[in-house]
Amino acid sequence: MRTTVIGLQFLLAAVIGMSAPGQAAPAAAGAPIRIGITTPMQLAVGRDSQDGAQLAIDEINAKGGVLGRRLEMVVADETENPETGITAVKKLTSDEKVDVLVGGYSSGVTLAQLPHISTAKTIYLGIGAASPAITAKVKTDNENYKYIFRVNPLNSKWLAASLVDFVVNFVGAEKGLKKIAIVGESAKWVQDLVPALKKGIVDGGSQVPLAEFFDVQTSDFSPLFSKVRASGAEFLVVIVSHASSDVLVKQWYDARVPIPIGGIDVKSQDPDFFGRVGGKAIGETVLVGFLRAAVTPKTIPFWDAFVKRFQRNPVYTAGGAYDAIHLYAEAAARAKTIEAGPVIKELEKTDMVGTAGRIAFDDTHDLRYGPGYAQVMFVQWQEGGKRAIVWPKERADGKFVLPAMAKK
Amino acid sequence: MLEILLYGAVTSAVYALLAIGFTLVFGVARVLNLAHGSFYALGAYLTFAFGTRLGLPLFAAGPCAVIAVAGFGVVVERVFVRPLRRSPLAVLLITLAVALLVEQGLFLVFGSEVRNVPAFVAANVSIAHVDLGGQRVLAFVVSLALLAALRTFLLGTRNGAAILAVAQDPEGAQSVGIDPNRTFSLVMALSAGLAAAAGVLVSPFLTVQPTMGLLPMIKAFSIVILGGLGSIPGTLLAALALGYSETAVAYLTSGSYTELVSLVAILLTLVLRPSGFLGARAAM
Repeated sequence: MRTTVIGLQFLLAAVIGMSAPGQAAPAAAGAPIRIGITTPMQLAVGRDSQDGAQLAIDEINAKGGVLGRRLEMVVADETENPETGITAVKKLTSDEKVDVLVGGYSSGVTLAQLPHISTAKTIYLGIGAASPAITAKVKTDNENYKYIFRVNPLNSKWLAASLVDFVVNFVGAEKGLKKIAIVGESAKWVQDLVPALKKGIVDGGSQVPLAEFFDVQTSDFSPLFSKVRASGAEFLVVIVSHASSDVLVKQWYDARVPIPIGGIDVKSQDPDFFGRVGGKAIGETVLVGFLRAAVTPKTIPFWDAFVKRFQRNPVYTAGGAYDAIHLYAEAAARAKTIEAGPVIKELEKTDMVGTAGRIAFDDTHDLRYGPGYAQVMFVQWQEGGKRAIVWPKERADGKFVLPAMAKK
Repeated sequence: MLEILLYGAVTSAVYALLAIGFTLVFGVARVLNLAHGSFYALGAYLTFAFGTRLGLPLFAAGPCAVIAVAGFGVVVERVFVRPLRRSPLAVLLITLAVALLVEQGLFLVFGSEVRNVPAFVAANVSIAHVDLGGQRVLAFVVSLALLAALRTFLLGTRNGAAILAVAQDPEGAQSVGIDPNRTFSLVMALSAGLAAAAGVLVSPFLTVQPTMGLLPMIKAFSIVILGGLGSIPGTLLAALALGYSETAVAYLTSGSYTELVSLVAILLTLVLRPSGFLGARAAM
């Protein structure tokens, strides 16, 4: 009988040991702090979310971790499908029992995850999705949604404000192009953005002769370009994220559309986009939140460390993940605990220089926008795949070049 | 208006190329091949692989891709479809499995990123002030040439005659000495090659990514239902109708509605005229 009990205990110990691989003998005292990354793993944004996070975790662990505990990362694939996104959050919170969630890309997915994050009472640091609705409930239902923060990127309302500023003050006032056509994919964030954009441009003294949406599945943009030409527009604002902006840019170039193009083109923010479209993005000016420039003292060191370790240029979620982990670690250190309540209090007081700007939160736990806080840049693809920052003026490091086919 | 005429012609020609193989396979073997879109995707990816990765000139990479995919079509027929031909449901499932296999294979080998196939013809072609882009003109011309070649093959050669004979009456064809299996292999090769050719021709101005086969598959399906399953003239007519109505919808209303056109066409056909334009019998 006695041997059976001992045998059972041994077995139990073995099972427990197996269920927690890699946790034996952590360098720092106490169990590791578990960071759950929820991200579309197949995409560049997802790969870079993990690698950016890893870089921050290694830096922090090298200095002894947080509260004497190491950080460790668990990843779940949220894809671009809300259902899978919910499963990813449930896996991380109930099975993996993570202490904080970091991630996001598609706003639709993040919005679907919110109730489940709230139920799990786990802090969520968003680093990829831009819909203002994501943090809206922090104010209206604080008790249940106080866990949600957006570290990156600026929400689409601020992206719209930046775009209005670019179109009115740069394209209109500096370049004299005052007839603006707007085309965007039929997606929630674009439909939210376009009315504000249109109003801002008209209030700023330019005209909007055409504003159109196209299906995200669209593979032939020639009808759209022909309408843009017919509208007499002098500048074409595009707003695309999930649709095939590769195809859009290629067809714009192939059809020799004599109108410069620019705006929010999420795939065109990738450092390798120029090569992917065979150089046909030349002249496109897109909003970029993150690139290798002296935006803050952290930007270039982070960028170079990332390239050195992973042998490729990072996209915006890399910086977001890196910043999110650092600011969580700092908040937990100040709170002297990883309990959600006190950490949230400390997170709210965040004022940190990040890789893409100064990070502070407003009363909805959303990233603050404006000069002195986070800002975006407008960057033009130029000869040989060079990227020139053309706006805002204080960040500019190159001159805007009119695309060859737009020259009269 | 002129733009609708020109762009619609390009779209219709490519659609015809895509759908004609699908209808041939159905006509000859009564097989609904759900892997048809994979042939299209493979055509585009192999052009990328041969042209960009191996450095072959594009005009060699394209035809090589078409031949390779035609071979793949024969393999699919021999290995997966032939043993199951007696059960239409099993064939439907196995071709769907092949489609998913190809998609996942492309993800594994090439990753999820969009790949760039350079234009075969970089020159810009303007017809009456409409800038078409040389690649579109090439796609149109080559599509027409391939369709004409197919017609000559079907009507002017013994193998072509065998295909038409099996399509008309499989037992009758067998009784005069035509091997139905050999004929079916030939049709699969043709069908896969033509779909791959469509993929090769449009890849420089459309997206090359692992899921690219689905939408063309739906288009081919709609065209074949609209034209009448198994009817070649019906398929050509339907390709023209769908190509032009999509282009017209995009120009006259909005690009958000184009993808609806083919689905509405399927619904209307099945409700109002299940045999399609020129089909001999009801589609289902």
